[in-house]
Amino acid sequence: MIVSSGLSICRSAARLYLFYFILVPLCLSAQDFKLDGREVQIHGFASQGFIYTDQNNWLTMHTTQGSGAFTDFGANISMQVSDKLRIGAQVYDRNLGNLGEWHPSMDWALVDYRFKPWFGIRAGKVKTTLGLYNDTQDLDFLHTFVLLPQSIYPTDIRDATIAHTGGDIYGTVSLSHGLGELFYTAYAGHRSDSIYSGYTYLASQYDVHYSRYGGLQYGGDLRWKIPLRGLLVGASRMNQDLTGNATFISPYNPGGGFVPYTDATRADWTNQFYGEYTRGELQLDSEYRRFVHNDVINGGILETKSDIRGWYVSGRYRIVKRLAVGSYYSRYWITTGSAGPLASLFPDHTDTSLPANHIYDKVITARLDLKRFWYVKIEGHFMNGYGDSTFPDGFYPQVNPQGLKPDTNALVVKTGVNF
Amino acid sequence: MKNKTTRNKMSSSRLLIVVCGLIFFWTAHALASDVKIVANLSVRTDSISSSELRSIFMADRNSLRDGSYVEPVFERAGAVHTTFLRDVLRESSESLQSHYGALVFTGKARMPRSFNSDAEVLAYVASTRGAIGYVSASAGTEGVKVLAVVSEGNLPERALLVRVEPEYPETLRQLRIGGTVRLRVTVSPQGHAESITLLGGNPILGEAAIRAVKQWVYAAGPSRITLQVTVPFDAH
Repeated sequence: MIVSSGLSICRSAARLYLFYFILVPLCLSAQDFKLDGREVQIHGFASQGFIYTDQNNWLTMHTTQGSGAFTDFGANISMQVSDKLRIGAQVYDRNLGNLGEWHPSMDWALVDYRFKPWFGIRAGKVKTTLGLYNDTQDLDFLHTFVLLPQSIYPTDIRDATIAHTGGDIYGTVSLSHGLGELFYTAYAGHRSDSIYSGYTYLASQYDVHYSRYGGLQYGGDLRWKIPLRGLLVGASRMNQDLTGNATFISPYNPGGGFVPYTDATRADWTNQFYGEYTRGELQLDSEYRRFVHNDVINGGILETKSDIRGWYVSGRYRIVKRLAVGSYYSRYWITTGSAGPLASLFPDHTDTSLPANHIYDKVITARLDLKRFWYVKIEGHFMNGYGDSTFPDGFYPQVNPQGLKPDTNALVVKTGVNF
Repeated sequence: MKNKTTRNKMSSSRLLIVVCGLIFFWTAHALASDVKIVANLSVRTDSISSSELRSIFMADRNSLRDGSYVEPVFERAGAVHTTFLRDVLRESSESLQSHYGALVFTGKARMPRSFNSDAEVLAYVASTRGAIGYVSASAGTEGVKVLAVVSEGNLPERALLVRVEPEYPETLRQLRIGGTVRLRVTVSPQGHAESITLLGGNPILGEAAIRAVKQWVYAAGPSRITLQVTVPFDAH
């Protein structure tokens, strides 16, 4: 264990070295240039984290030994083609324990045409607007916290909500009589998960190996910047119609090898409500999300129903220009049920007071901005509960073969750059 | 005796409130007068509401109410930048950076141009169609136009049709005394200034501004309206 921990620290040190001695100098070089008389901008970011937990392994990493398998980076290029037309694309790559595994993805690639302030269109692969932070959850340099509240923004299943290939209509409407401003987004498209995501990793514990998971995703977001200074409230809705293709070993015929496996959603929707208040250097926000997911597997041999609810209250304060502190309290509950011939293998979970059906997380954090483009964060998580092992919620049986314990404390350190 | 003590306490409290109010008003006015909004000559409007200004600089919109395209231009640092962020955008430098970071890295906007000095901002604004920026009140404005910032909600109904620039009092020009004058203007349904009250700024410049604003003509409307108008005087 000591050797393994030492190796992990050495790998982290190597990554840090590459990060700061190669990436940082690159970051400080030119960011924009002219192409055919039009300005082209290039921006990027990278971050490296380290997590140590005292009880359970977390987020698919071997965190009880200390893990630095917590790296990501992205870069984008964009050009204003005309007054109303803009094009751009961003690649994103991450390695989070057993997730991502350094397989880069097109994070977004879009054409944006803004006819009027109150009406614009984005088409291509577009980041999905859901609540306050869904579309920026990967952009660590924007946030005071290393990990956003996992009850609402679970980083292991970011693929589920992060983007869609399709289009958005959006706009800003100034309300008369000084009633503030409304911001709206409506979207529809195709969600396509990486096979290195939390869903597919979780399924691998049952010897289910996905080759494809995704489907239709559509919804909208409406937010109101109300006349009371610094206050924003909003609501989001998302509907999905998903299918997955995989292979698995049938429990009816374990010796028969891998056979085709399909799952399809019968219902999949998310409602989210949120509010944000900013006063000077203080920012408070809170969100509530309910996510319902009903799946039918192999035409009905198993039907699963998951009902997930979460909320958090968060506050952060910039003490001085380069130092900010923050804290949040996050609650997550999951209830599950199943039907069909294989239902006996998956007992219902309905008692949310049990650690197996909830995660309560108290968090404190500090962020130090060493330079305008370079920051370090340190964060403590004090968690009770570990969620349901049939749904991806941070604690996975594969990296906790000894079983899960009710409490987990975590120390998280992260540093990053952006330009 | 008790009543007298209570009365004295109330008087002291009122005095304290009045003094604090005056200090706040003076400070706010002094800060607001430190910045002027400049635009490329292609920008058709002569005035802009503070909410529209904020929307443009926060990338919530990229055109004015009349449909013309605008591009916000920032200063990187300094007193003018700090004043503009605090009084107009109501953001700190860090929150503004985060705001644009979120937009740029989600593909929703591009990073706006920013410059190190008034001179650089003015040079870019003067040469770039649709550019709109902010500079210190004392900066020269050759080759750009200065936009008056008016109170919320008064622009769409009563656009300014005729604007007459004020005559700069020669003595003040020689002494290089400038600044911004704030006026409250009541506009008749026919579009003429019915009454004008000086709200802030140098009184001599105020008189010159009032003489000019009396000649302004707004679009006709269904009723009388009251506007807050800012008139800059550039001493250079």
